[in-house]
Amino acid sequence: MEKALICLAAALAVGLCAIATAWAQSRIGAAGAGTIAERPELTGTVIILLAIPETMVILGFVVATMILNK
Amino acid sequence: MIVRMSKLEIAGPKELLLEVLEVIRELGTFQPEEERAADSDATLSDAEVPEERAVAELLFLENMRRQSGEIIALLPAVETGESRLDPMTVLDSIAATAKSHLATCRALSERHESVRREQEELTRYDVLLAAIDRLIGDRDAHTGLDFIGITLRDASLVEKLRELLSFLVEGECTMTTTVAADGTLIGLIAAPPSRSPAIKKALSDEQLPELPFPESIANLSLPERISYLEERLAATRISLAEIEAERDRFARRWLAFYRRINQWLVERLALLSVTGSVRRTGMCFVIQGWALTDETAPLTERLNEVFGGRVAVEQRAILEQDLEKVPVALRNPPYLRPFELFTRLLPLPRYSSWDPTPFIGIFFPLFFGMMLGDAGYGLVLLAAALLLLWRRPRGAGADAARILLISSSYAILFGILFAEFFGEAGGRLLQLTQILPERSRAVMPMLIFSLALGASHVLLGLLLGVITAVKRRERGEAVGRIITIALIVCLASLAVSLLFPSPWLLTRPILLLTGLLLPFLVLSGGLLAPLEMIKTVGNIISYARIMAIGLSSVLLANAANHLAGLSGDLILGALAAVALHAVAIVLGLFAPAIHALRLHFVEFFSKFIEPGGRRFEPLHK
Repeated sequence: MEKALICLAAALAVGLCAIATAWAQSRIGAAGAGTIAERPELTGTVIILLAIPETMVILGFVVATMILNK
Repeated sequence: MIVRMSKLEIAGPKELLLEVLEVIRELGTFQPEEERAADSDATLSDAEVPEERAVAELLFLENMRRQSGEIIALLPAVETGESRLDPMTVLDSIAATAKSHLATCRALSERHESVRREQEELTRYDVLLAAIDRLIGDRDAHTGLDFIGITLRDASLVEKLRELLSFLVEGECTMTTTVAADGTLIGLIAAPPSRSPAIKKALSDEQLPELPFPESIANLSLPERISYLEERLAATRISLAEIEAERDRFARRWLAFYRRINQWLVERLALLSVTGSVRRTGMCFVIQGWALTDETAPLTERLNEVFGGRVAVEQRAILEQDLEKVPVALRNPPYLRPFELFTRLLPLPRYSSWDPTPFIGIFFPLFFGMMLGDAGYGLVLLAAALLLLWRRPRGAGADAARILLISSSYAILFGILFAEFFGEAGGRLLQLTQILPERSRAVMPMLIFSLALGASHVLLGLLLGVITAVKRRERGEAVGRIITIALIVCLASLAVSLLFPSPWLLTRPILLLTGLLLPFLVLSGGLLAPLEMIKTVGNIISYARIMAIGLSSVLLANAANHLAGLSGDLILGALAAVALHAVAIVLGLFAPAIHALRLHFVEFFSKFIEPGGRRFEPLHK
């Protein structure tokens, strides 16, 4: 039972963060596509901006790993 | 690195202004300042209103440039030699000639366009003409017959039309069909002239159009139309060839000359446009501007050499208020130069700030190598980089290939340290000695290592920020950053002390010091300073991605090996391994690159780079 709860906690840590990241990236991606259409020279900047919300899922992944390794 | 700039003032007699600008432009090392400096102590008369003569000259040259440009555009681009004529000596006399030449070129061009359009229109009938010609064939002799040409939408109409004609003219006509080169079904009806009106009316009622021909030949019979169109087509071809030959002759005689004139006028007008930002009195001129410090001496020497001391170059001190205006030029050693590709993604830093290129050049490959950390993947990327370089790319492609070459070398190095070669299994197979901890198992050590690296990186950024603030004489900013550095060090020491067997030995004094520093932080940076501090801590935690992406990279490689092993077949397993590792390599190329860049752009550069620099754009040919 305890192991199941630990796994559930790890799954929630990474899963919820992934949903949040996906939502943020969808908004940034849509705006970024519009930006690139008008100013292609900003492609690099848009890619970087798109990577910013990934912090959430990465930290979620780190937390999940820490939970599982505890 | 941001190249050191010098603020220069070039002064000389007014009549030498254009010659001086010409020399400056030839050297290409001086950028005239467009805005007039308010701090100048030179007493100059109000020469803001341009002289009438100068305006007239400008208008004359602009008109000549427009005319010569139009002549060049109207003439065919024939091969010609270069004209060595000095435009200055013939400018006045060429003004009238250019006008008549332009009129000639326009007339030739209009004639050419008109004949070309007619030919294009006639060519459209060419296909139909060819088909009709085949149908008429030897019936040319039957001049007593009328010929009616029609286009048919589909073959099913042919029989229907035959029945209609048979009923209408009681067999006094014949109809033959053929398919034109463009696929149009063409019909030709031959009938006595007395029957023609009835046939044409019936065709109109059935909505079967006669062949479309120009209105000018609507009254002619079909054979007459055909011969007329053929004659016109031949005539237009001859006419077009004659016009083109005439244009070619004209171009061979005058094109090189007008090209030379036009180029000279463009350069002259560019110089005159610069004179707008030059301060002048009735006797002299003063040009203020910027030059690279190491280019100042050659510029002075050249001006002295050409004008024999009549033009003076003086170096002025760069004042604090000038710092915003100093243009920025970046110059880096060959190893770092490709990384300017990433720098170009950012706004240019200010002159008093730092060039981000050396920092990206040092840390980007390091972070990339740490995240990918696989010797096998590194070798594949190294081969890809060498292949790209072998094809001798230019510009951004060459820079990207060189960055890939350097970064993949770091990936190989860390792959050896982690003992990973296409995953951990490859490392074991090659009996690589593990020097760093096993990434797939030693999660916590790798996390601590990543955070320590992040803390060092962010502290370096803050330290550079202190230097920038000191250079800009912003004491409050400098003190705030120093306190932030002290607090980060305290927090890092606190974290380290918790790992000690007796944490209380260190924890208490560090907590005390942190408590003491916090009020000073608020005093130096205001109420928002603690929030900024929390943001900085967040920036450090963000470096955990080095461990996270590294872990996902090695797990992906291990998964690829595991799945390939499950197939139980050597060939199938090898194919699966190649496909899965290819996916892992693509991910391993993009994810570490994007995240290493993000760590620089968001976490690191925000601590010390001040954007808003103006690019150094010297006057040049």
